[in-house]
Amino acid sequence: MKKVLLVLIMISAIMGNVFANGQQEAGSGVRPTLELLQNKPEIDPQLKAYAKAWGDANGVDVAIKTVGGSVDVTVGQMLTIGYAAGDLPDIFIFPGVDDYKQWAEVILDVSDQKWVDDTAVEFVYDGKVYGFPVAVEGWGMAYNAEILEAAGIDPAGLVNLEAYTAAFEKLDSMKAELGLDSVMSMAAAISMSWVTAHHNFNSLLSNGLAYGDLSVTNDLLAGKVDMDRLEQYASWVELLFTYADQSILVTGDYDAQVGSFAMGKSAFLHQGNWADGNIEASGASFERAFAPHGSMTEATDGIFVSAPSYYAINKDSKVVDYAKKFLNDLVYTDEGHNYMVNEAGMIPAFSPVTLSPSSPLSQSVQKWVADGKVYSWDQYYFSEDFRNNTLGPIYNQFAGKQINKAQFIDALNTAFESLK
Amino acid sequence: MINPKIRKKPLLLEVITAFLFVLFLMPIFIVVINAGKDSFAITANPLSLPEDWLQIFRNIATIWTDPNLRYGSSFFASSTITILSLLFITLVAGQAAWILVRTKSKLSQIIFFMFVAAMVIPFQIVMLPLVSWFRIVHKFIGIPLLRTYAGMILSYVGFGMSLSLFMYHGFIKGIPLELEEAATIDGCKKWEIFYRIIFPLLKPITATVLVLNGIWIWNDYLLPLLILGKGNAIQTVPLAVANFAGAYVKQWDLILTAVLLAMIPVIILFLFLQRYIIKGMVAGSIK
Amino acid sequence: MKKKQHDLVFWLFLAPAVIAFLMVILIPFIMGIFYSMTDWTSRPQPEGLQFVGLLNFIDSFKDISFIYSFLLTIVYTFVNMIVINIVAFGLALLVTSKIKFDNIFRAGFFLPNLIGGLILGYIWQFIFNMVIPNLPVISAIFPAIAESGNLMLATRDSAVMAIVIAGSWQYAGYIMMIYVAAIISVPEELFEAAKIDGASSFKNLIHIIVPMTAQAFTITMFLTLVQSFKQFDVNVSLTGGGPSTQFAGSFIRGTELLALDIYNTAFTANSLAESQARSVIFFIVLVLISLLQVRRNKKKEVEL
Repeated sequence: MKKVLLVLIMISAIMGNVFANGQQEAGSGVRPTLELLQNKPEIDPQLKAYAKAWGDANGVDVAIKTVGGSVDVTVGQMLTIGYAAGDLPDIFIFPGVDDYKQWAEVILDVSDQKWVDDTAVEFVYDGKVYGFPVAVEGWGMAYNAEILEAAGIDPAGLVNLEAYTAAFEKLDSMKAELGLDSVMSMAAAISMSWVTAHHNFNSLLSNGLAYGDLSVTNDLLAGKVDMDRLEQYASWVELLFTYADQSILVTGDYDAQVGSFAMGKSAFLHQGNWADGNIEASGASFERAFAPHGSMTEATDGIFVSAPSYYAINKDSKVVDYAKKFLNDLVYTDEGHNYMVNEAGMIPAFSPVTLSPSSPLSQSVQKWVADGKVYSWDQYYFSEDFRNNTLGPIYNQFAGKQINKAQFIDALNTAFESLK
Repeated sequence: MINPKIRKKPLLLEVITAFLFVLFLMPIFIVVINAGKDSFAITANPLSLPEDWLQIFRNIATIWTDPNLRYGSSFFASSTITILSLLFITLVAGQAAWILVRTKSKLSQIIFFMFVAAMVIPFQIVMLPLVSWFRIVHKFIGIPLLRTYAGMILSYVGFGMSLSLFMYHGFIKGIPLELEEAATIDGCKKWEIFYRIIFPLLKPITATVLVLNGIWIWNDYLLPLLILGKGNAIQTVPLAVANFAGAYVKQWDLILTAVLLAMIPVIILFLFLQRYIIKGMVAGSIK
Repeated sequence: MKKKQHDLVFWLFLAPAVIAFLMVILIPFIMGIFYSMTDWTSRPQPEGLQFVGLLNFIDSFKDISFIYSFLLTIVYTFVNMIVINIVAFGLALLVTSKIKFDNIFRAGFFLPNLIGGLILGYIWQFIFNMVIPNLPVISAIFPAIAESGNLMLATRDSAVMAIVIAGSWQYAGYIMMIYVAAIISVPEELFEAAKIDGASSFKNLIHIIVPMTAQAFTITMFLTLVQSFKQFDVNVSLTGGGPSTQFAGSFIRGTELLALDIYNTAFTANSLAESQARSVIFFIVLVLISLLQVRRNKKKEVEL
């Protein structure tokens, strides 16, 4: 019995703490807390350091929450859970229009903010600004310049389906001497649908069109399919899949895909400038840059560039003014610039920022932007459900050779018709 | 031929068992050898032995000091939640099972059946309503259950109750009534009978209940995600480990090291209680 | 007994269990059933919840991927139950056959059960994708195992088997323990008697061990059934639902079991109400199957 009593006393002692412990770290006084939810685990430490310094200077506790690190939690899921729990962050990230619609009820109109005039890629809906562009990102066909040079291929000539077909054939025939496993590093497993059904899919939507031209996207959303464009695109996908390392294509993850390129085992990589950090981490230092996608028989001259996601301010936040200041200070203070460019290695989306990132793929993106040769990201006009659950399996079947090109075209066509 | 009770060809059986044993533990062996490498060496050759075993300590140090992971505090939170939940589950389920066994009435049967029947309720059906409900409780009664230890522990006591009560119930049915009758004659109160006489007798089944619930609670991912959220003050080890298993980047070296660290406490608990578990299962899980 | 049965102590002893049960399971469960008949979503609903009747249930059955997940889960459960129980019973016979180090072996076979499902899935993904194709001796003899099309996670059927392997690895040791418990409780005299009669080991197995452990079978069948039906963690981290397959003319995720389908309906498709409806259907099926199974096994126990 004594034992039981002892245990009970212990419990009650702990329980005192139990309720208190949960009450956030806010106990540290009267300082308000600003909570930010973001989805880039790779910049989490840098953002936390910056936020702490900024918070100390402004008398706020900034709590940074990072998701996307884990396999099955996305910002959307966190917001869903947070909403059910009545605990939404003050600033949160959203990737595009489909997610905007989901959370429109709680997103603050920020059209009156100063930074709106200093960026070209803010998130606009119905003429009002709702999203602060986190950075600029871009993807095209990342190539290993040293391998292309050794094979005698000029990357400037990689502009259409024909040029890529020729280049891939040539590289394929020289695999042994170049030390390649495959020409292309591509991934099409179901969990990699973001490469196929998000990024690659965007070639169909915006390649060769003026920036922000939504004609193809809107037609598809209305169930109208330009068969000629779709067929060219299907040939492009077939080309990529044919010359890709088959193991990585069918079962590989991001690490495997980037690893193959980083170790010089493949000449091309279907990823964006964010891969730089991982490529460098593996000790690679070869010269690399982006070439346009060759998804059309016609030549295209540009890569896909946009803000990958935006910060939204929670309308019901108790610290809206701090939230606004936090975002503004990123654009208008040296500390903000230093964080975005030097610390986080991002390409800033704002003209007052004069620093530029040092990694090769990011520099390549900046060069394409400076030349004005960019195409937009339109994949977010399609729901996450459509991209992941409808398109993803179709690409996956094609990659696994369960369907041929004609069936692939047919399946995509059917999928778009279902959107009507 | 396999013969469980008569010693016939033990050597052959021992060899077969040993072979299966090695095969079974191979994945864990792979975890251990790769926890001792850097990320690059893993992808290059996952089966080689680490060149430098000290790397494992460097990996542990990386994990320990990672500010995002907060391994120390995650470890503390997981331990607190697991220990307190287990304590409550055993006490609460034990006393409830005993009183249900010793009360022969329709009501007692109905209550017992309700607990057992709940075992088939899939977690998915309650996971989101649970969060809404806890929020309502906080709003109207003022008890904070989300983002707190209290909510987490209450959840585990609730979810663990059915199986634990079922197991205690089965075990207690086998305990002869005479003991309690004698105690009653001696003037013991009912609660004294349970805590002084019965509960100590439950040791084997308690060990089983502890291990089964302990494994589950220590490793659980979805429930802490829902109740505690991510990046809040309280974070459990599985939530922390999941940070490494990125949607984009899998830092295998750190994942595997973290896996190793997360496994160790449960293994120790298991080895301690091993001899009770079988006893408990003999009497407990088989009605 | 003269004292009334439901005295204060009765209620005091039960109260904590009942309160926890109400708070965590019963109330959310009832709310869950209620939500399944509304238009509950994750987004803010200023207009409040609307009652929609059985619409979510009808929509669920119209969704081919749900039907597929349902059928797949039944197949998976069937295969998984057989594999786990055969492995577990085999191991149990081995570790009770009076060999040396039986305690160490028991602990070893139980060990995988100590690893969480999510992490376990990662480990096996690592093994299937990275280790097996790199096995030094075997891949030299059978180069085919390293070919992309032959990787376990590359095709639907083999990926389902991969989940079975990983799931069995995790669970067989636990089920083994239950069989061990049953086997060692068989009275020694039975074997002595059999020995005198000159019964073979095989006869021992059929005539003594199997009948004497029939009760254990009821329990292990029930546990593996429920466990397989609820499989989620390993599914998420090992295959994530891939690779894809074609079913009834649609392209869908080939290894998405019911629990994952429900989860994705809630979080990817953002249809919380429909996901509640699917889990209610899931619940009903679980109830029916468990009832059938328990009844059947009880009958068998009696016959044996």
